[in-house]
Order: sequence, then structure tokens, then C-alpha cells
Amino acid sequence: MIHWLRHSFERLRSVFQRAELDQELDTELAAHLELAIEENLQRGMSSEEARRRALISLGGTEQAKEHHREARGLPAVDTFFQDVRYAARGTVKTPGFTVAAVLTLGLGIAANATMFSMVSGFLLRRPPGRDPERVVVVTSVSPAQGFQPDANAVSAPNYLAWRAAGNIFENMAATDNYRAVSLTSQGQTTSVPSEAVTPEYFTVLGVSPHLGRIFAEGDDQPGRDHVVILSHELWDREFGSDSSLIGRSVRLNREDYTVIGVMPANFQMLGFTPQLWTPLVVTAADQTAAARRNRSLYVFARLKPGVTLAQARAEMKTLGRRAEEDFPDTEKGWGVAARTLPDFLVYLFGIRSALVVMMTVVGFVLLIACANVAGLLLARAGTRGKELAIRMSLGASRLRIVRQLLTEGLIIALLGGGAGLLLAYWGVKFVRANMAFNEAASAVPLSLDWNVLLFALGVSMLSAILCSLAPALTASRTDINSNLKDQSRAASAGRSQSRLRTVLVTAEIAMALFLLIGTGLLIRGVFLIQHQALGFQAEHQITAGVTLDSARYKDPVQQTLFVKDLLPRLRQLPGVGAVAAVSELPATGAGHVTLLIQGQPELPADQRPRTVDVIVTDDYFRTAGIPLLRGRAFTGLDNAAAPRVAVVNQEFVRRYLKDQDPLGKQVRLDLSGSTPAWSEIVGVVGNVKFYSETTRYDPELYEPFLQRPVSSFSLMVRTSSDPNGLASDLRKTVAQADLELPLAHVMSMSTIIERQKGGDLLFMQMLAALALLALTLAAIGIYGLISYSVGQRTHEIAIRMALGATGGDVRRMVLSQGVKMVSIGAAIGLVVALPLPRVFAAVFSDIDTSDPRTYVIVLVAIFLVALLATYVPARRASALDPIRALHSE
Amino acid sequence: MAESKLDLLQGTLDLMALQTLAVMGPLHGYGIARRIEQVSGDRVLLNQGTIYASLVRLQQRGWISAEWGTSSNNRKAKFYSITKKGRKRLAEDAVYWQRLSGVMGRVLGMQGEGENS
Repeated sequence: MIHWLRHSFERLRSVFQRAELDQELDTELAAHLELAIEENLQRGMSSEEARRRALISLGGTEQAKEHHREARGLPAVDTFFQDVRYAARGTVKTPGFTVAAVLTLGLGIAANATMFSMVSGFLLRRPPGRDPERVVVVTSVSPAQGFQPDANAVSAPNYLAWRAAGNIFENMAATDNYRAVSLTSQGQTTSVPSEAVTPEYFTVLGVSPHLGRIFAEGDDQPGRDHVVILSHELWDREFGSDSSLIGRSVRLNREDYTVIGVMPANFQMLGFTPQLWTPLVVTAADQTAAARRNRSLYVFARLKPGVTLAQARAEMKTLGRRAEEDFPDTEKGWGVAARTLPDFLVYLFGIRSALVVMMTVVGFVLLIACANVAGLLLARAGTRGKELAIRMSLGASRLRIVRQLLTEGLIIALLGGGAGLLLAYWGVKFVRANMAFNEAASAVPLSLDWNVLLFALGVSMLSAILCSLAPALTASRTDINSNLKDQSRAASAGRSQSRLRTVLVTAEIAMALFLLIGTGLLIRGVFLIQHQALGFQAEHQITAGVTLDSARYKDPVQQTLFVKDLLPRLRQLPGVGAVAAVSELPATGAGHVTLLIQGQPELPADQRPRTVDVIVTDDYFRTAGIPLLRGRAFTGLDNAAAPRVAVVNQEFVRRYLKDQDPLGKQVRLDLSGSTPAWSEIVGVVGNVKFYSETTRYDPELYEPFLQRPVSSFSLMVRTSSDPNGLASDLRKTVAQADLELPLAHVMSMSTIIERQKGGDLLFMQMLAALALLALTLAAIGIYGLISYSVGQRTHEIAIRMALGATGGDVRRMVLSQGVKMVSIGAAIGLVVALPLPRVFAAVFSDIDTSDPRTYVIVLVAIFLVALLATYVPARRASALDPIRALHSE
Repeated sequence: MAESKLDLLQGTLDLMALQTLAVMGPLHGYGIARRIEQVSGDRVLLNQGTIYASLVRLQQRGWISAEWGTSSNNRKAKFYSITKKGRKRLAEDAVYWQRLSGVMGRVLGMQGEGENS
């Protein structure tokens, strides 16, 4: 072993001492010859003969050196360095070719690296904590169709039942995400996103605090539950990273909470942005049958050692079925799903399919770029036929030639990779800047991390092989004889080479067409959504989120009083047209409830009609600009004492009250925590999009705030001027009503819609940029091939013209070559692109992607671009001066 | 057929060089090559240049060592000598070759049983 090591080391060393060792050998060989000559002279040979015989016996000094090098060094490494040197010289000698090839590949690799930085940031990032793959997130599966029905939150009774029954989990915790608390520090009250978690939560995840301690058993007992753990960011921003804060108290929701810990800065989970954690207190009310409808918890559990995810799923399925049997009224149709934590976070964030599409697109862009560079290399190999033939006749093996060409491809690909990473640096910057629309997305650190660098390296290697394989294989088939005999000035590319190039360019066109149709369909779909009418007036509205804490607003009466007090004050502000409070802002994806309609059979829970359920104050429809179509809107008289009333939208009537008079119908919502009550439909209003990013209308049912007060709602203020100018007035007025009540997300309705669209806009821009890149690359490919072949055929064209062909004839001849290629490529691309709408429909259910016009437009565009790319060289060919062209041969 | 020279099998030249150095003491490359040619009665086809590949291989393995010195005609030349390790190796390889050539001789001398009866 040591022996072998020593020998390997010697050989490796000799690779780097090449010059020195060569020189020593030279001296040795010179001595050898002298000795041989001397001996021959002594034998009586003439000096000339003595030298000749000595040389013959030695067998050639060059060969001796080559043998020596092979014996002492690592021939493979030596050869590689030799190839690299040779290729490097080649790239420097032909700067035009190098720049074109490197830039083309660089663009392709940049697109890939940029996109992969998103994959790395969103999909590959490991959640914090110990073995996150062993943490399972249990969710409910809703029987209704909708957005991610299988990642529904869980009710408290289900959580308690599962925790009691489970013998496959080490421990289990529940969290109520998306809460907001008011934090008062230094006289300022701000609304802070928070998460209420059962004490086991951090233990389940296996994370340790940066400071202090995590929650312990008993922290969720009433009376001891006023403890809080801060995020690193909040601790830094609000408390200046003061370590003595542990044990002191902070004011949350008007009450004192003791700070017991600070989490580390890297404790971040994709899609969740809480700034602080408080204990989740499970009360007696959470264990009633009514609480089963209130599904607001995510359940995290750590698998016992040896238990697999499949076992956990089976167990949870059984528990889900048991709940269905025991509580058919609320659980019928509901199921249970379990995912690992990393999987769950990515799934919930819902970015996977968009990233898959983008990665596919950039993959195609890279293929097109590679086809272009392969074409360039092929063309160059054509002009180098003679050089390669000479090298082969001097003893280079075919394998050696192939390896050398692959090395050249590798050098170009690595340069391209470097250029690509440089471009990707800006690409990532652009993407990051455009992700600021969303707290959760902008919290994801995008960078050229190790994953991306490795990926870029891999992509470069792959490109090297893709680019240089075709030229290398063609070149290795070079016929030495015919190549050396070929007397033509520009050693012409063999037939097989130009055929291969034609195939490459045809494939490029097919890919570009496929890509353009795909992106075109998606862009159109997204564009339609971006510009759809939402059913209400989003302009000139300022909104703010209010969460009434239970310390001061314990019961509905106080909540009603607050709203009754605040709204008239806001209405007094200058420039305010109308004011309303609403449980969920329009087109922001409100929740659904099931309901009963009087006169219709009482169906099992999972088959009951479902409706969006919104609670509004009486001026809401006028404020939001939602048209009243029939009956009446709410008034101040629809209060707690009056008979319960409701307003529904057109879609509600169309779906559930076909051809009936909706007015006067009684409906009853299946609500948690309240006694069921019938309400009378008194009005019908226009449809509002369920969410600004979907095309669908859902049935909607509105209830008056006075009859069903809620503690968490949004204010909506209609202004006559720029709504953002009203923000400070809005804050001041609310502070007058309650100094310690913070407003969350004070922003115009248009901004909210913009933010919701943000991801789509970025998606659309990136798709458009990539499609354009693909088209440009394909055009360059066509242009390069046609102008090259025109150059090759100069002689032929000159003869044709000398024999009477006109410029028009020549143009037509060249154009027809291009048109043939484009037609075949386009036909292939079209056939492949035909099933695209069906594929997209399965992935993006909210986007309408069936549009035959896109196919036609893209087809025409490709032809125009291709014709233009062909026309330029065709024109050059037709402007040829035959006399001069023939003389120059 | 009898006149054509023997092509050297891979590795045999290494062994020949080792043996030559073991017997003759320090020698330069030319001397080793000539010595092998003479001993073989000029029956091996020795490309003298290849001796240097063989020597560098042996040197890297630590079986021979080299030193610059002056040749009989007063020229600077590299003199090789066998090391202790080299002698050990030579002994092993010599046994191996003798066994192999014995076996080869027997195998090639083998006659069909019914052929000469």
C-alpha cells in the first residue's frame, strides 16, 4: 500500500516537473548517442555511418522521450493538460467564435442558475431543528374542492383525540398560526404576527433557544400562560438585542407577558413568519362537539424511532375514520393527511408547480443554447478537417481526437458557466427585488449558494458533453486520405456535418416553438387574470386590519360598541366617502362554511351546499362598490334584536336557488360555537371573485355585523383622493378610539391586490424573458447555419450566377433552404405542443390556458423571425459578384 | 522465422535491466542496453530508447537509484545502481520467470496422446 502510494506520488510529481525531467532525459540521451557513436567508430565505421546506426539503435529520440513521459507520469493527466493548453490556444485564436459560444451558453446557464436559486431557496432548504424529516405534519382533508383541500387545518377535539390515541409519535404539538397580537413598547403599539403553540412545539421540532428557555409543561395552564418567546428579528428590532430582557415583561394585548426565551435567527420556516410565540391554551370550550367545526390548528408530531411515514399515515387514516363514525354530523367526508415537515412546508407554500414549469422552460432554453454552440463547433470542425487529418496521420488516435474536442467543449462550457454565474448574480438580484410583494416569500434568502454553484457546474459539464459530442463523433470519423487530398481553399464541411447541423437547427426551431406556445398560453392565462374585473371597486380604498383583544373586548357587545364608535369618526375624516368593517376583504380568499337552505333536504355534512361567509357592516356594499341587484342591503336596524337577515350573491342564487325567488328564503349556517339560527335572505348582490388570482366565482353569503359581531376584521375606507394619503388620519382616529389598539397592514386595496398578483407578475415576466431568449437563440441558430452554408456555397452560387441565375433566383434558393427547415421544425413543435393546455389545466387549475389563437400567433412569429434570419444571408448571397468570387478561388 | 528478433514481452525489459545492474554494478543507460543486447546474442529486438522508460519506472518504485557521473569518454552521464529493495524484487521475479518458463516449456512441449503412437 505504502509502496503504491509512493509510486503514485512520484508519478504525480513528475507531471509537474515535466520541463526539468525532460531536460535531464535530453542530457542522458545525448550521452547515450555519444557513447554509441564512439563505439561504432571504434568498429571502423565512417563518422556518418556511425551516427546513423546509433540513431537507428536508439529508435528515435522523440519516441524515447514519449515512452519516458508515459512511464514516469500519468499519461491521462498529461494528455488532459495538453488538450487544455491546445484548446485554450484555440479559444484565444478565434475570439469571435469563443465569444459567441460562451455568451450563448452563458445565457442558457444563467437562466438555469437563477431559476435553480429559487429551487434551492424554496424547495431544498431544510427546515430548522433536529431531523426535520422525522417530523410529521398532520392536516385534515376537506371534502370540498378548493385550494389545497388536503392541507386543511385541524380542530382542537381532533388534535386532542389523536394525541391521546397515538402510540406512533414521540410527542405531538398543535399550533394556531396567523394570529396577531398588539405589542406595546416605548409608548408605541404595533400589530405583530404571532403563533400560539402548545408547550411541546419546540421540543417536537427539536430546536433550542438562542437565549432563555423554550416552553415547558404547564406553561399552557391558565394563570401561568402569560409567557412569551420572541423571534430573533423582533428581539433585535424592538428590544435592541438586549439579553437582560429574559425574565422581564412586555405588554401584549394590554397584558403583561414574561419573556422566557429568544429563538435563534435561523429559526424560520417557509411560509410562516410569526414574530413571537405564546402558549396555546386548550380550554373546555375547545373540547365540545361545536368546536369540531373550528379547524384552525396545524398538528406537528415527531415519529417514534423506527416508525415510518407510511405507518403514521395508516394510523392517522384509522383515527380519521373513527372520528367520521363517531361524529358524522361534523366529520363526514373529512379525512386525515400526514406529510413530513419539509414536504408540508413546500406543499403549503404552493410554489412547486410554478418552479417545475420554470425549470422545464430553462431546461429547453439550455438545450437550444447547446444546439447553437454544437452547430458552431460543427462548423468549426468542418474548417478544421485538414488539421485533424494531419494530427491523425501523425499518430493521434481517434479517441485522442474525440477527447481533445470534448476538452474544447469543456473549456467553452466552463467559460460559459462562469459568464452564466455572473449573469445569474444579477438574475437573482432581480428575482429577489421582485419577491418583496410578500412577507413569506421575501423572507426566503435567495442567493448563489453552494447548491446553485454545484448545479451550475453540473449544467456546464452537461452542456460541454451536449455541445461537443456531435462534432467530436463526426470529426473522429474523418477520412484522413480524402481530407488531405482535398484541394479546395476552405476545406468544406462534409455532407454529414451539414446534415447534422440542419437537424440541430430544425430541433431548435421545434423546441423554440414548443416553448413559445407553452409560455404564450401561460402568459395569456395569467394576463387575463391580472386584468379581470373583480366585481368590486378596488381603487380609492384604504384598508387596515383590526384584531380586538379579549382583554378589553371580551364579548360581542363591546365589539359592537367599538365598531359603532369608530366608523362614524372615520366617516368624519376629510375626503372619506364611505366606511365599512368586513370580516374578510373582497377577493382575498375568504373561508367557506356549509349551510342548510329551508325547503331543501338536509344532506350529510360532506354534501351540503357551501358558501363564502362574510360579515359586513351596513354600508359595506356601497363602500366596496358591489351592486345591489334585488331586495335591500343591510341597515342599522338589522341589529341583534331584529330578525336575522342575510344577503347573497348571484352565484349563490344560480347554484342553490335555481329559478326560485331568493328573497324571503331562510338559510342556516353550520357555525362553530354558536346555536344554529335561521336567517332570511333580503337581498342579492353582484358576484365578487373569490380570490383576485382565480377566475372563479363562489357562492357568497353576507351577514350583518350587528347580528354576528367578530373580533377580527378589516376596515375599508373609500376616499375621493389618493387613499395612501389617508393612512395617518386613519391611525390617529383609531388611536382616539383606543390608544392601545394597533392597526395591521394599513394599505390601499389596490396594493393588496397588487401583492396578491406579485408572484404572477414575476412569473409572467420571467416566462416572457425566457421565451424571448429562446426565440433569439433559435434565430441566431438559423442565421448562423444559413450564412455559413452560403459562405460554403460561394463557388457554386457564383457559377450559377455566371450561368445566368438572377439575384432573385439565388435569394429564392437560399430562402427555400431556410423555409424547409423551419417548416419541418415548426410542424414537430406544433404536434408536441398540442396537448399543452390539458397538461397546464391539471397543474394550474385557476388559469384558462386553452387558446387556439396563441398557436397561430406563435407560428406566424416563428416564421417571420426565421425568414428574417434567413433573408439577411440570402441577400448577401444574391449580391455576390460572380467574377470576383470565382477569381478568388 | 529463425532470424527474426524477439519482441520483448511487457515487463521483461525491467527484469533484464535489474539483473544487469545486479551483476555489473553501476552502469549508464547505454551500457545497460548494450549489455542486454550482447548477452542475448543480439537476438532481442531492443529499441534502445525504451530502456529509459524502463529505468524511470524502476527508479520511481525505488528498485534502482541514479546518480550523475562521468562516462569513460568523459561525458556527463547518469549511472544507475540496484538498491536493496531492487535485489529482493529481482530474486522474487527471477523465481517467477523461471517457473513460468518451465511451465511454458512443458505446455508447449505437450504432445497429443494418440498422436505419435
